[in-house]
Parts: sequence; C-alpha cells; structure tokens
Amino acid sequence: MERKTKRLGIGSAAACLLLASGCATVAPTQRAVLADPTMQFDGEAKHDAALRHAIDNREGSMGGTGVSGGGCGCN
Amino acid sequence: MLRAVVVALGCVLTLVAPGSARAQVGEFDTTHTVFYEAPTRTHMFVYSPSGDVTASPWSWLDVRGGWEADVVSGASVSTKAGGVYQASHAADVVSTASVRDLRNMARGEATVKGDLTSLTAGYAYSTENDYRSNSLHVNARTDALQHNTQFELSYAHNFDGVCNRVQDGSATSPTLWVALEDSSGCFTKSATRVTDTIGIDTIETSWGQSWTPIFETQLTYTAQLVDGFQSDPYRSVILGEGIKAQEHVPDERAREALTARMAVYLRALRAAFRLSVRGYYDTWAIRSGTVEAELEKSFGESFRLMARGRLYSQTGAVFWSDDYTGGAPPLGPRGQYFTGDRELSPFWSWLGGLRAIWTLRPAEGRFIGFIESFKLGLSGSVTGFSYSQYTLGGIPVSNARAYVGTLSFNVVF
Repeated sequence: MERKTKRLGIGSAAACLLLASGCATVAPTQRAVLADPTMQFDGEAKHDAALRHAIDNREGSMGGTGVSGGGCGCN
Repeated sequence: MLRAVVVALGCVLTLVAPGSARAQVGEFDTTHTVFYEAPTRTHMFVYSPSGDVTASPWSWLDVRGGWEADVVSGASVSTKAGGVYQASHAADVVSTASVRDLRNMARGEATVKGDLTSLTAGYAYSTENDYRSNSLHVNARTDALQHNTQFELSYAHNFDGVCNRVQDGSATSPTLWVALEDSSGCFTKSATRVTDTIGIDTIETSWGQSWTPIFETQLTYTAQLVDGFQSDPYRSVILGEGIKAQEHVPDERAREALTARMAVYLRALRAAFRLSVRGYYDTWAIRSGTVEAELEKSFGESFRLMARGRLYSQTGAVFWSDDYTGGAPPLGPRGQYFTGDRELSPFWSWLGGLRAIWTLRPAEGRFIGFIESFKLGLSGSVTGFSYSQYTLGGIPVSNARAYVGTLSFNVVF
C-alpha cells in the first residue's frame, strides 16, 4: 500500500512536470547554446562506451545509458 | 561470420565512398580502450578496439555497421572462501585461475528519420569462448514543442547462451554442482558441455526538456528482466567443511533504474556543467545510488576539455555472504543461494577522469575535396572500489583500482 502511494506520488510529480514543460519555450533563435557540443548529455557516446561497459561490469547496477549492446564481456 | 561482417562493412563503405552518387553524408569512428585492474590476487587487462561506419544515402535514412572486440587476459578468483573458514585451515583455501578470452561483436542498425521523429532498428551478434549473444533493439524518438521536448522509447531483447559443465546425474542439489573447469568443448557436441540460456528484456524511456536557453534536463526510466543462468560458471564457493560448489544465484532478476540529468551552461566560464543522479533497485535486493558530475569547457572553436567525477554506492544482494560456513552476522548461510561475486557485495566506488576532444574543420569547403571534419578524442579515468564485506579468505581487498584509457578518431565525409 505504502509502495503504491509512493509510486502514485512519483507519477503525479512527473505528470505535473510534463504539464509545466508546455510553458517552457525556448525560441529557435535562442537555441545556440543548447546545440553546443558541451551541452549534449551523450555527445561523445562512442568514445565513452568502453568506459561505461567496464563500469557496468564492476557494479551490480545498470540503467540510464541505452538498451543496445550484446555479449557478456564480463571478465 | 567474419566474412559476413567484412561484406556488411564493405556495403556500407561503398555507400560512404567519395564519388558515390547516392552518398550524401558518411562517418567513420574507431575507438581503442585499455582497461587494467590489479587488486589482491587477481589482475585483468582488457584491450577493446572498435570500428563503426555510418552512411546516409538519403536524408531520411542512416545505416550503421560496426565491430568491436575485447581482448582479455588476467586472473580471476575461482574458489571463494571467507575469513571464518580460512581461520580453521592451515592451507590457503582461496584460488585463482588465469583468464584468456576474446569477445567479438558485429552490429548493424538503420534509422529512418522524419522532421520530428526517428525510428531505429538494429541487431548485434557477439561471441566469446563461453558466451554467445544475439541482440535485437528498436528505438523511437520524437521532438515536440518547437524541439524543446524530446521523448524516446527503446526496447531490446537478448537471446544469450552461456557454456556450462554437464553435472553428474546424481548431483540433484546445487551444493553438489561442480564449476566449469575451462571453455574447451563449449558450443560443440561435447558430452561434457551444455549451453544454458539467458533471455534479457530491456525497456528504456526518456524525456528531455529544454527549460531556458542555457538549461536542460533529462529523465530516464530503465527496466530489465533477466531470465536464465546468471552465475559465473567457473567460480566455486566454499559452503562448509569439504563442501565446495559452483556459484548458484536465482534464475530471475528484475531491475529498475531512474536517472535524472541536467546540463547548465556557465557563460562566465564558457563551460557546461552536467549532473546525473541515478537510483537503482532489483529483486535481488540490491539498491544503489550514483552521482556523476561533468564540467566541460571549450577552448576556441576546436578544443574541448572535460573533467568527470563519479560516486557510487550499493547494498549487497539478499543472498550475499562473505563466508557461507558461518560466523557472526552478516556472515553465515543465506538460504538456497550462494555467490562469490564481489559485484553482489555491498561496496562504494569513486571515479575521476579527464577527456579531451579536438575537432578540425576546414575554414571553407572540405579537406581534399570530401572530408568535412576530423575529431580526435583522448581520455583517462581512475576508479577505486571499497568493499565493506568482501574478502579473500578474510583478507580485505583494499587495493582495487582500475585504470581506463581511450583513444578515438572520427571522420565525417
């Protein structure tokens, strides 16, 4: 029950944020900085892929870095 | 298999080749990474080369093909015991085994692009001495609200197989199972080897939002179901006096992670600050938290330098024990499962690193008529692990540090 309530709370917060996003407007002419390579979350994903792979295989967790991939390589 | 990869890469290269009437844009990437770790009793060296080719024969289509490998050499723990058991034995009860492996992976994917939406489908096949993997993935992405909002949904399914030892018919309990000695005979008709299956379903959805001209966020939810043999087939765990059995963990594992990221541009520094916070939970009762911060600064138009720091902490799996033979809590048996995997023990880790990216573009036109840009990347990271319970026969592993270095090269046609 407590877990359901918590999930409902998280869902409601996410819905509110989504609705708020409609108010956020950055005009195309204001997007120069957002398009800068330093502002990209995964701008050098290929360069960092092997580091992510090594980290994933040293931890008991996963998530947040995409779904593709193949093999174990877990030595 | 190798021939198929060469043919596939050749097809993509043909599309990218200069002078091709159809190729408008092409890209080639290669990365080379070395990983080295030498904690107590073990050491591991991995060299990972990769190469990818992307072609955009039409504005609405990207086709990618690539290959990567892991060349592994080192040693790993083959028999795990804790301090309580070691204390009553004169001889060393922990043992290691040398590891030599080669993982090859070929991959391909295609993306169909519209003005606001893109759809991607791909496939990867990888092979190791003791592991085979077929992976299919699909991805849909759309922009909304004048590109201020992005939604992305991805799904992947892995059909994997891991080599194992055929157990004696009389060994009805996992406590009697014997670990795999080596990978000889794997994926053949050998009567001493069997292939255990692993199915992995992963779904990820993310929402990216630009809030102001210098501030954006991304929220990502990942869920994964793993069904199949998930132990290390080579590793044994000491369970009692004279009882040594192959590691045994549950076949099912459900995993969830929620990641929140933000990026803000600091005009005074001409740099971007990125922060990522991730919470994770799975049905083996591992809970973890990750905080990662990156500061990336541009020097002129062509050079960028990034500093990265990361902290990670996790609890152990519910069936984790450093010594299943007994001792005061948290030692002792944990029901029907047992493992010697340090990644399932409680620990925290830190990481620090630097990355430099140098991009070269001609002032006008293209280099030698068809090259749009070059990009060279170099990075180095150090990571350290602090295990609160994991020991090797009672000896703490206090020197677990790993070094990772990557060199990458990208050329756009």
